[in-house]
Amino acid sequence: MRTNRHLTTTVPLVLSIVLVPLTIAMAFWWTGEDVDQGLSQKIFYFHVPIALTSYIAFAFGAFSAAMYLWKRTEAWDLRSYVGVHSGTIFGTLVLITGPLWAKASWGVWWNWGDRQLNVFLILFLYYCAYFMLRFSLDEGERRRSASAIFALLGVGLIPMSFLAVRVAQTLIHPTVFTSIGAAMPGSFLLTFLVGMAGMLSLMVLLISVELRGKRTAARVLQLQRSARGEDA
Amino acid sequence: MIGAALTIARVKFVLEIRRREVIFAMLLFLAATIVIVRVALSGDTGAGTRAAAGMLWAAVVFTAVLGLLRTFAAEHEGGVIDALLLAPIDRASIWLGTALAQFGFLTAIELVAVPVWWALFFQGGGPSVGTVVIALLLANVGIALVGTLSAALALGARTRDVLLPVLVLPLLLPVVLGGVTATYGAFGEEVGGLRPLGFLALYDLVFLALAWGTSEHLLGD
Repeated sequence: MRTNRHLTTTVPLVLSIVLVPLTIAMAFWWTGEDVDQGLSQKIFYFHVPIALTSYIAFAFGAFSAAMYLWKRTEAWDLRSYVGVHSGTIFGTLVLITGPLWAKASWGVWWNWGDRQLNVFLILFLYYCAYFMLRFSLDEGERRRSASAIFALLGVGLIPMSFLAVRVAQTLIHPTVFTSIGAAMPGSFLLTFLVGMAGMLSLMVLLISVELRGKRTAARVLQLQRSARGEDA
Repeated sequence: MIGAALTIARVKFVLEIRRREVIFAMLLFLAATIVIVRVALSGDTGAGTRAAAGMLWAAVVFTAVLGLLRTFAAEHEGGVIDALLLAPIDRASIWLGTALAQFGFLTAIELVAVPVWWALFFQGGGPSVGTVVIALLLANVGIALVGTLSAALALGARTRDVLLPVLVLPLLLPVVLGGVTATYGAFGEEVGGLRPLGFLALYDLVFLALAWGTSEHLLGD
């Protein structure tokens, strides 16, 4: 996937510079105040896109892991790692914005009855373990396979956690999207979509910049080795 | 492939009966955990059945992790793993055989420890036995599958003993949630009938499929 640099870096860079501030502007000056939650509802335009983006990054990590197990090329291993890494970065933001919203609208920092919050915590802990696993194995084939398998297991863990929490608890989270469609006014939906697009471009940007950095580091290491005459 | 898995499981059992390394440690750990929590909760008479259910599942999962730490120990120390990998058997059968042995160990320990839990927490009017037993058996399958898989992943890691609990506990969280809910149901709470048990069975199937699919890459080259 060594695509055009502009496509993977410049475009998402411009998009995130435009869209993220635009979301802030739209959220505060364009959309009306939520009847039920008031001002605190504004965090919705960030918290939810960040959470979805984080799931998408994890999904990218898992997909690349599957591709690695199939193709066995280091590039896919690197993509899988970078996907999980940016998922964790967005995940940290989710775990900051979630409790903020919870405090404002429910009066508590953490609600153990809330499904999404708990599933997310499970998932976050799980992907944090990914880094422990990866960095306690020596570099090589074994580390790449183990990381890939672990990242793939998340594909089972996500639906299982949702189901488990659903089996265990009552439905508390406000369901904004229902099977009939999004139950919110047009201006809310548009702002949400802009926020989503902004976060997604930011994710693509982070992933491609980190990938480029890692590739460069690997290349430098290789050059250093050959300069010392230890050709691998 | 099933035959090879059964042989591996049998070898593990025979070794365990001779050495008595894992089962006794796990049994004592489980019993000690139950007693400690009972003592710790004794001041709070209101904690009741929900606390009892919760602690049973927490104790089972922690005990399982203790056992998992020794899963591949013999293979790793004696270099048996290399021999197994060279043997003309499917890689999946190594993992499956080990998981079978783990399932056996866990079930054997629970046979002793769960009655202790029962006696300590309920003098009369405990939960319905059938539901708890089925929930435990289903959970044991999931714990053995996921645990053996994680143990194989952590094999060869520098910090294996610390790493394994970190890997396996988030993966087992759904099992704890499902198991606790099933136990509430066994106490007569409304939990949607057989849904928690069905969930545990589904968990087993999902991770069986995932582990089977990746087992070829599991033990390294």
